Amino acid sequence: MNKTTLKAVLVLIALAVLLAVPKYVESPYALHMMILLFLSVTMGQSWNILGGYAGQHSVGHAAYFGVGAYTTMMLMHAKQIAPWYGVWIGIALVVVVALAIGSICFRLRGPYFVLASIAVAEILRLSAINLTTLTNGAEGILATELPAFKIGETVVTDFSTKVPFYYIGLFLIVLTIAITYLVQHSKLGYFFQAIREDQDAAHSLGISISLYKNIALVISAVLTSLAGSFYGIYVGFVDPPTVLGLDVSVQIMLICIIGGMGTLWGPMLGSLVLVPLSEALRSNMITEALVKVGMVNAESKVGIFLKENLSHAHVLLYGILVVLVILFMPDGLMGFVKKLALRRKREAI
Amino acid sequence: MAILEIKNVSKFFGGLAANSDVSFSVEEGSIMGLIGPNGAGKTTLFNCITGYYPPSKGEIFFDGRRMNGLEPDKVCMLGMVRTWQKVRPLAKLSVVDNVMVGALARTWSLKTAREMALEQLKVVRMEHRADFLAGGLPIGERKKLEVARALATQPKILLLDEVMGGLNPAESEEIIQLILDIKKRGLTQMVIEHDMKAIMRISDRIVVLNSGEKLTEGSPQEVVNNPDVISAYLGESHA
Amino acid sequence: MAVLLQSLISGILIGGVYALIGIGLTLIFGVMRIINFAHGDILMVGMYLTYIIFTWLHIDPFVSVLITFPLMFLFGGVLQKVFINRVLNALAQNQILLTIGLGLIMSNTVMLIFTSDYKILTTSYSSASIQVGGGVSVSTPLLISFLITAAITAALYWFLLKTDTGQAIRATAQDRDAAQLMGINVKRMSIIAFGLGAALAGTAGALISPTYYIFPQVGGIFTLKAFVITVLGGMGSVVGATLGGVLIGITESMSAVYISSGWKDVVVFVLFLLVLLFKPSGLMGKSRT
Repeated sequence: MNKTTLKAVLVLIALAVLLAVPKYVESPYALHMMILLFLSVTMGQSWNILGGYAGQHSVGHAAYFGVGAYTTMMLMHAKQIAPWYGVWIGIALVVVVALAIGSICFRLRGPYFVLASIAVAEILRLSAINLTTLTNGAEGILATELPAFKIGETVVTDFSTKVPFYYIGLFLIVLTIAITYLVQHSKLGYFFQAIREDQDAAHSLGISISLYKNIALVISAVLTSLAGSFYGIYVGFVDPPTVLGLDVSVQIMLICIIGGMGTLWGPMLGSLVLVPLSEALRSNMITEALVKVGMVNAESKVGIFLKENLSHAHVLLYGILVVLVILFMPDGLMGFVKKLALRRKREAI
Repeated sequence: MAILEIKNVSKFFGGLAANSDVSFSVEEGSIMGLIGPNGAGKTTLFNCITGYYPPSKGEIFFDGRRMNGLEPDKVCMLGMVRTWQKVRPLAKLSVVDNVMVGALARTWSLKTAREMALEQLKVVRMEHRADFLAGGLPIGERKKLEVARALATQPKILLLDEVMGGLNPAESEEIIQLILDIKKRGLTQMVIEHDMKAIMRISDRIVVLNSGEKLTEGSPQEVVNNPDVISAYLGESHA
Repeated sequence: MAVLLQSLISGILIGGVYALIGIGLTLIFGVMRIINFAHGDILMVGMYLTYIIFTWLHIDPFVSVLITFPLMFLFGGVLQKVFINRVLNALAQNQILLTIGLGLIMSNTVMLIFTSDYKILTTSYSSASIQVGGGVSVSTPLLISFLITAAITAALYWFLLKTDTGQAIRATAQDRDAAQLMGINVKRMSIIAFGLGAALAGTAGALISPTYYIFPQVGGIFTLKAFVITVLGGMGSVVGATLGGVLIGITESMSAVYISSGWKDVVVFVLFLLVLLFKPSGLMGKSRT
């Protein structure tokens, strides 16, 4: 069988395995890790369409994530509107935000889009803090009671375990990867990449630059808002820094930088590196491992320092990773893999 | 029938007149040479014609339609396409993908676009390089790729900006043959070139620019014997 | 009326500091075409440096500027040579991401060392003010920082206009290739430009340390404001950044008084979007669409 069919079969097998996981894995912690992974992949894939394929680097994607999260939570908390309806309002709102940014910035050259994307996210974050009647301000919105999801009269799930969230997460990564694949293998994908590679050349070949940039932005924004809505209902709590902060925007980009921008599997690779690493830091796994191996004495100054601080260090890790990747591996892990494959191809010819 | 009409076109950058009251017409199916010393305003004129920026004064008519102020993508869709003095390959895409971007101006189907792209690659004799990364090509092939990509947009007129710049004699000869082949297909062409021998061979008519103004226009014989043209080029060495 | 004057004056005073931040950023952009996303975090480092000097050496923050300026210049130069230099010819997005990463490293290292606790630097005159008449009073530390800012800005203008190095920097900012052809060592200019930018940012941090809370994440908002100032003034224009800084200072101050202090930053960012919408090249910039 040829390469494409082989790839398709592998993907289907992986999907089947993922579908079966909750039946055999009971540990809520393991499911939680999978859900975090799914969330990360979804966020990365969404950004990738705009940043990786169309080359427009938004450093303010928290805006779409946060609007999705807040809208769903606000509607559920204040108006008892179920999240599977609320999510559509979130989508409608991010489309407005996205088109507003796009229409201002996409006719400009240079870094204006990057700056404007950050400014918009900050405006939204500060507004969330200030509009206390709407958003509960800096205290955030706590809403852990989800309505039961019914089809007709049958209760499909009451969200009392992590399992339904697992399947929603799985659905989201399938959705975003499928959309990325469709874009990649369509006129859209070709035009996005042409814009990324050389905007003037693309323009002279009949490509309407602002139209296609806006299309990429809207697709990316909508998918990101889905991730935000999902995050909101899974965690049960949103507040301005957690869903609208610059950290979120940087994290989203990081997934793609490490994995490889403009590739189908880049965000997956990036997530597979980042999520376990940051969880290991957060849960003191690394410190404990070092102690067990005997490299560090738990009572020593170093030991205590590590124990108290390493769990906060995951953002420092992000910073170090960004610098290392940009300096030594700017095409990310996928780029590295591709280089090896290309070298073999050239040698064969 | 004049497919392209340039009427009193001027372009100012601040106080500098890059183009000053330039007028001429290009007959359909012909090859118009555009020559002049460096800084004469040739590329500026191309940029005005293709909508990269609007002319400050004057009018541009293509196929009878007024083109002033149209965006470059609209210009391309109407049938006018250009290549660049400094080549602009889509570096991270393969050769065939590059040409497909051009072909996709006229179709939504990737399959059709790929077929059209491979056809154009055959015309420029690069179909064996289809899966190569465009960024890794040598200059001669980059120039051919750019022509193939432009042709894939199914233009009525092709504007070539120093397409032979930086090429060795064998490569230049290949391009000359390519241009003559394109003419046989019925396409109109306007060619900016410094290679005088090449321009003499391929052009039906030549327009000479100097310091932003049109110096003269005529057949290759008329132009090459024009004393003003010779003195404009005095001090310029050309093959 | 007194309220209007009061907020106007406060705005101008803080605007001076903002001008310093903006000039630093615009210099870096002008010479290297790099958007320095770590600019606010460099300011934060300047703040902590001032705090350390004050707490351990008991040197007044305004006096310690004499120490902070050269130290931050060195810091900037090192950053440029070790990191920024490697991406000078890389894609713009990579340059941006690198500086973002450096900023994250700076703010989080400081957080590890000093914790996230808000620190306050209190001097004898921290809450003092001078009565100017007409019911208007001026905060003493703000006034002193404005005077120092004015002095530094004047020195900077003299440097850029009258010295060989300064003119070389301006030449590099105008046309890097031409400057190189004229024998200017553009690599050295880049180091100096980044060093200067860092020195200005760090000094701005030192100047506001008596009146601002000091915490590791304070840099983020200043980076953003620095960008607003630079774009408003016209990217690459020192005069523009000076004007932009004062304008933003006034906008902020008036917004805090007439709307609310919670919304003042939002006003600044909305102003930014409006500038992008109507005059993206800024007050002094040439249209470069």
